[in-house]
Amino acid sequence: MEQKKVRRWNTWDNPWLNTKFLIGISIVILVVLFGLLGRIFWNVELAYVGSSPLNLPPVWQGGVPEHPLGTESNGRDMLAQLIVAIPSSFKVGLIAASVGMTAGLVLGSLAGYFGGWVDAVIRTLADAVVTIPTLAVLIVIAAFFTMRDTTSMALILAMFAWPGPTRIVRSQVLSLRERGYIRMAVLSGERPFGLMFREMLPNMLPWIAASITGNISGAILGATSLEALGLGPTRVPSLGTIINQAQTSSALIRGMVWWWFPPILVLMIIFTSFFLITTGLDEIANPRLRGLNK
Amino acid sequence: MSTINTENLILDAPTDAKKVLEVENLRVQYDTPRGAVRAADDVSFYLKEKEILGLVGESGCGKTTTAMAILQMVQSPGRIVGGQIRINGRNIVGIPESELRKYRWTELSLIPQGAMNSLNPVIKIKEQMADAIRAHENIKKKDLKPRILKLFNDVGLPERVYNMYPHELSGGMKQRVCIAMSIVLNPSVIIADEPTSALDVVVQRVVAQTILEVKERLGVSMIMIGHDMGLQAQMVDRVAVMYAGRLVEIGPVMKMFKNPTHPYTQLLIEAIPSIKEKKPLKVTEGLTHDLRNTPEGCIYQFRCEHVEDSCCNEPPRMYQVGIDHFVSCRHAAERARSMELLGGYHG
Repeated sequence: MEQKKVRRWNTWDNPWLNTKFLIGISIVILVVLFGLLGRIFWNVELAYVGSSPLNLPPVWQGGVPEHPLGTESNGRDMLAQLIVAIPSSFKVGLIAASVGMTAGLVLGSLAGYFGGWVDAVIRTLADAVVTIPTLAVLIVIAAFFTMRDTTSMALILAMFAWPGPTRIVRSQVLSLRERGYIRMAVLSGERPFGLMFREMLPNMLPWIAASITGNISGAILGATSLEALGLGPTRVPSLGTIINQAQTSSALIRGMVWWWFPPILVLMIIFTSFFLITTGLDEIANPRLRGLNK
Repeated sequence: MSTINTENLILDAPTDAKKVLEVENLRVQYDTPRGAVRAADDVSFYLKEKEILGLVGESGCGKTTTAMAILQMVQSPGRIVGGQIRINGRNIVGIPESELRKYRWTELSLIPQGAMNSLNPVIKIKEQMADAIRAHENIKKKDLKPRILKLFNDVGLPERVYNMYPHELSGGMKQRVCIAMSIVLNPSVIIADEPTSALDVVVQRVVAQTILEVKERLGVSMIMIGHDMGLQAQMVDRVAVMYAGRLVEIGPVMKMFKNPTHPYTQLLIEAIPSIKEKKPLKVTEGLTHDLRNTPEGCIYQFRCEHVEDSCCNEPPRMYQVGIDHFVSCRHAAERARSMELLGGYHG
């Protein structure tokens, strides 16, 4: 049964060769590589307080080549700080988004499939959590817990990341379970968990893929805001902590652009590339957005 | 030769054939704020071994509801309010879901209406077939493929379908996949819910032939739902005619077409256009009553040509008028009896 694969009318019509998606994903990969490979090429010990001379400007503003991006008022090398901060921010985002998403998928499927009191309990909880202003509660929680590492921070963020996915998955499952093929699967003896995670879940993949990137950038944003307010783990440098320290040391007034601007630039790059990935995935999953009808 | 016993309402098969499925006084209703809709009311029939029973009637007469009730898949707000459904002698109404799983697909399977919606678009055909098998049997991985390919062979599908997604198949192929799915576990009864209604006539013929072949090979009994009287005439052994949630006549297909007894059956058969003679088509006149408000007496009284006062007072029972032939009309039963007395009925 060897058939020659039919060539598309344009080699570049492969949906995965979506410009937005490719640009977005390559920027994310570059940023992650910068964080991961930076450790090999640069001494991350320089991220500790007092490891370098104070207040050096970057090399193009008359600094020294030993500290190309300059140093700040506590004697930390900016390049080393960024190298350490980027992976930890990504870690927070990934953990918070995947925990929240997994919880959302499980709870939403249970609520949608079983209905009745299971649905009532899950729906009420999710609706209640959605109405709570997240940042305010996070600040209160962060004030009570001294967060030692980024993982506990990610888990606290995940506590508020599940209601969104739960509600959407629930509505999807409600619609999916009335489809003919789900009823056929019920008839053919598939068990409820098989129905939920083998039959229904793959149908939600485009949505899951598109929303997980949004959730990651949301979690990074949440973590950064807490850190910028000084509520994050202070031992490990992270993008938010750098902003916080720059703020408390009046870097803005002192004209130390090289202190407060790099973390903001990195965040902007991360959010833009995640946005590109989300829209790109949307176009990949939905041919109409790709403009194939033109 | 059967005797006509108008007092006898027990549907006893006079033949020795084994009854694989018996439906007795099945009642399904849909509860609505403005009263319960009686979608299946006092439906009783039996299905003999290796028999195809056609279930016909106009839209909304309760064909699909009856079939779904047999599969115990009536959707809320519908529910089975009474009656028994026996498969090989065992009642399945009201048994728990876990018990039911043992019957579904192994004893009772479905060829669905509209195959395009009955296959999961994101799962390969081989996986969907395998799922149905694995839900009931512990089968080794290496035995799975030959078994599925054999099923494909049975329904005339090429082997390449094994590795395909549903969107890569045509409508007729999808319907054949559904037929293959319905026979994976060798059930004793298959319910085919308008299996050919969404296909063009050429594919319809092929699919109908496939169903017949499969039925012959496996020796299963089938219930064929449909409103295509022509297709029914070619495929089924017996026809059951439903009207407004009730069974009005059930009998051998040749007899029913040659000599319909119930006025509604007569109307249905006269409404089939003939290619041999040119005659004005008989149009079914009148409207079905609101199913929430079933009249006393015969349910067909508003559309019947021969309606009498007695029809409006007392509901008719199922009267036996021949071998495997029952009608729910007093006058029709009497007419049939007089014809038999004249010796002209069992021709």
